[in-house]
Amino acid sequence: MCATSPMRQNAGARVQTLTLADRQDHPQAQAVPALRPDTGPDTSPDTGPDTGPDTGPQRRQRLRRWLTSALVLAVIWGLLTNWRADAVVFGLPAVVVGATLGAFLPPAPGWRLSLRGALAFALWFGVQSVRGAIDVAGRAFSPDMALRPCFRPYPLTLPQGAPRVMFINTITLLPGTLSAEIHGDTLIVHMLDARTALEPELADLESRIRALFALPPSPEHS
Amino acid sequence: MLELLGAGLIGLGAVFFVAGTVGLLRFPDVFCRLHALTKADGLGLALIALGVALQAGTGGAVFRIALIWGFVALASATCGHLIARHARQMAGGRHD
Repeated sequence: MCATSPMRQNAGARVQTLTLADRQDHPQAQAVPALRPDTGPDTSPDTGPDTGPDTGPQRRQRLRRWLTSALVLAVIWGLLTNWRADAVVFGLPAVVVGATLGAFLPPAPGWRLSLRGALAFALWFGVQSVRGAIDVAGRAFSPDMALRPCFRPYPLTLPQGAPRVMFINTITLLPGTLSAEIHGDTLIVHMLDARTALEPELADLESRIRALFALPPSPEHS
Repeated sequence: MLELLGAGLIGLGAVFFVAGTVGLLRFPDVFCRLHALTKADGLGLALIALGVALQAGTGGAVFRIALIWGFVALASATCGHLIARHARQMAGGRHD
């Protein structure tokens, strides 16, 4: 229960700040707030273009967040239970508790999706997860498994928040890689086979995630 | 026809679940085993969900299946990372 609520709150925050931006007119202005360091999560949330200054509207902002999460949770519950009236007995308290727990979480940095990037990413993601599963299934059934496990560090250059989480979670689905640990801005990747190349694959994934979130192309990483 | 395709997908999904389990049993350490669980079982679930969705009658059922798949995929990647991190910290954070 408590494990699922942060995720659901994320869904709420996502809807709140999601705007489709395919033409990338002003990616810089939107991406900059997300680049701030992960130190003060309790400072005023900068979730989007319509967020006012720090003076006053903190309360309204929080109420809006609560209402958005409650709405998202209620719709999910309704669809899960096929809008059955008697299921509300459990659904209503769950929605209220979920939205309230979510309101205690630090606000996530704002982000937006590129529609074209999302479609391309979904397609690529499907192909890669099939590749990864066939690779590991083949090793499981093969007599000698061809394992040469190792750990490799990889520098994280994506902004904190949704892009970085997406990157770390997707690595686990790529063939032969697993994100094992995070030390500040360095990710420790576990590899099934030390002989395969790591950097080109991850750099490719990184640029795809930049396209997905309508971020400007990587500044220093090549 | 659709029924047959659905059954085929479910059968293929089951094969990947078996592969994940075989990997879990055969692979040498916790990290390699996590590879087997997160990847093979993830695709196994996706195939089974697709097969069931083909046989499901209503759009609501299809949406529920997609929702379940999404939550499980997110949870398995996150849990895999958390287990790996815990295992590394227990081992004293060896680096190589």
